[in-house]
Amino acid sequence: MKSAVKKFKGLSDKAIAWIFITPTLILLLAINIYPLVYAIRMSFTNFYANKIGREPKFVGLKNYKKILGKEEIWEKMQITAHFVCWTLVLQALIGLGLALLLNKKFKGNELLTTLIVLPMMLSPAVVGVFWTYLYNPQVGLFNYVVNFFYDFGVFDMLGSSTLAPWSIVIVDTWMWTPFTMLICLAGLRSIPNYMYEAAEVDRASKWQQFIHITLPSVLPFLLLALLFRGIENFKMFDLVVELTSGGPGSATELASINLKREAFEKWKTGYSSAFAVILFVTIFGFGNVYVKVMNKIKDR
Amino acid sequence: MKKILSVFLVPVFALFFSLNAKAESLTLGWAAWDPANALQELSKEFTAETGIDMNFEFVPWTSFADRMLNELNNQGKTFDLLIGDSQWIGAGAVYGHYVKLNDFFDANGISMDDFNPATVYAYSTWPKGSPNYYALPAMGDALAWAYRKDWFNRPELQSEFKSKHGYDLGVPKTWDELYDMCTFFQGREIDGVVRYGAAINTERGSEGITMGVTAAMYAWGMEYEDPNNPYSMDGYFNSAAAAEAVEFYRKMYEDCSPPGHSDAYMVANLDAYKSGQVAFQMNWYAFWPGVYKEDSDGRESGFFANPCQNVCAATLGGQGISVVSYSDKQDLALEYMKWFARPDIQQKWWDLGGYSCHMDVLGSPDFVDSAVYAQGFLDSMGIVKDFWQEPTFVELMLPMQERIHDYVVNGKGSAQEALDKIIEDWEEVFEADGKI
Repeated sequence: MKSAVKKFKGLSDKAIAWIFITPTLILLLAINIYPLVYAIRMSFTNFYANKIGREPKFVGLKNYKKILGKEEIWEKMQITAHFVCWTLVLQALIGLGLALLLNKKFKGNELLTTLIVLPMMLSPAVVGVFWTYLYNPQVGLFNYVVNFFYDFGVFDMLGSSTLAPWSIVIVDTWMWTPFTMLICLAGLRSIPNYMYEAAEVDRASKWQQFIHITLPSVLPFLLLALLFRGIENFKMFDLVVELTSGGPGSATELASINLKREAFEKWKTGYSSAFAVILFVTIFGFGNVYVKVMNKIKDR
Repeated sequence: MKKILSVFLVPVFALFFSLNAKAESLTLGWAAWDPANALQELSKEFTAETGIDMNFEFVPWTSFADRMLNELNNQGKTFDLLIGDSQWIGAGAVYGHYVKLNDFFDANGISMDDFNPATVYAYSTWPKGSPNYYALPAMGDALAWAYRKDWFNRPELQSEFKSKHGYDLGVPKTWDELYDMCTFFQGREIDGVVRYGAAINTERGSEGITMGVTAAMYAWGMEYEDPNNPYSMDGYFNSAAAAEAVEFYRKMYEDCSPPGHSDAYMVANLDAYKSGQVAFQMNWYAFWPGVYKEDSDGRESGFFANPCQNVCAATLGGQGISVVSYSDKQDLALEYMKWFARPDIQQKWWDLGGYSCHMDVLGSPDFVDSAVYAQGFLDSMGIVKDFWQEPTFVELMLPMQERIHDYVVNGKGSAQEALDKIIEDWEEVFEADGKI
């Protein structure tokens, strides 16, 4: 024991750091980096995982050219962009609004916070099934509530190509706005009171206080929440599959659903690896730009 | 101490050896539906006869193909026996997932002549029609229709229908008649409740809408390819008659289906029918025993084969039972198959609610009267047609699902455009597979 301690004492700080980092590094290499490198390698081949015994052939950039030149892929990207953009906008606005509301002290504040947070604790599969019933034109509550305010008659949210893309936006917003709200709430609670006191001494209006103190302080938090949601929604799969299976037709077939179908139903492993790499680069690129912008805002 | 040890150790060893003594077991995979429960019940007899335990894994239809094909592609050993869809036979044979059964059949006196020829062709052979068997016909099935006989028998509805259409309200002989009847019930109030025409297949995710629309396309005389020039589909799959059938199916969806029936398959159709929403439901024969048994509160169900139009035809369902080539217990699995092929077991299979394909059962003089849907089943099995059974069938199914759903449910483009695009997609698949 003594010799072990002695030995340990003899290690440099750098060596100790490596000892702590190594297991994580190995895990990261095994379950993140290796599959990524393997997928990149596969993306240059015509490999089909279900065609046992058929050797994959190197096809160069053929898969990439095919994907980027395919009109349908761009349609899926547009559908994904529509979904990501609208969910982010709605979640930012509603999340921030709710956070501002819950930042006030009133009776039942904690209970209300808990209730609002509930949707994001549910499984996406459960939420999907649950909303399928809510959207049912015959017995669903959604039609009933909408028709209560204005008589649209019977409409099928999941069966109409105009409404279906909005139906998935609504469900994702319902489920994940609490996440944005929580992060914003953390931001709001970190603003020291003396800033508002000083503003009041300077006779700043509530609106001016919001614009010059609240919003700049909470913005980095909000942007961080939107970064997480943006990445998640770009990869969205389970919720939408449960709700629409990508339909009607292909009106809600997000890029990730299409990727799954190519990879694990059609078994076009080489092609789908290329598609996965393209999606990864897109998210990675957007993420990097976004983080840089976020840091600039934070430094201001 | 020795006594104490013996008190504890003896039962432990006894349990250990008894478990080992019962170690012979087989695992069978199938879809989770009524016939699977019947098979589980039937298999108790196999365990009683042989001492081999049977384990079952029944997967919901929505993920059945994903689960099983993943298992086969990964050369998994989970299943010894698999009751796989008819379209999988090509992949099962070509990629070596299924054991070829010819020698086993010869050695055990199992003749394919004892089974309904349409089922042998569809469930067992690859290349199609050749005497190379990879499955034993296990569950005959076809897409058919159930209807509310109790509503049809109401005199006021009968006379109203006759005065409107000039013929009797009854089992429709053609799709045109089916449409007349569906629209007759659409939005009609019966017993104070608004009812609808028909619950038809519109599901997008797996195979639902394809199975539904092909029921119409086959009746309009659609062929997948030129019989003299395989894989040449232009003018056959996208013929004017085929496009007319797809348009008709869209008309059925628009004018006859209940609101919100835009992603419906087996269970949704059953629900719509059982809850009294619709006069007709499209579904597989496999469900009719359950529907018939559950008739209550005045509901009386009638069943009929897919109506004719230009020709008489029906969409094939059903499955064959195969031995998985990656199983370590192929001998036991073959023993099960030998038992299952016995005529007396096949008769029990039908009695329990499974659809036997054995000629002794189907040809028995009592068969037609043994169930109200038996005649329809016999009629259907004589006119069945199946989707592609190529090894690449999933790649062929997916674009059809998307294009047809886009037209029928979404109303995008025209039927002709949808069929033309499907051919383009299919040609790409066949080219990649070296078939064109």
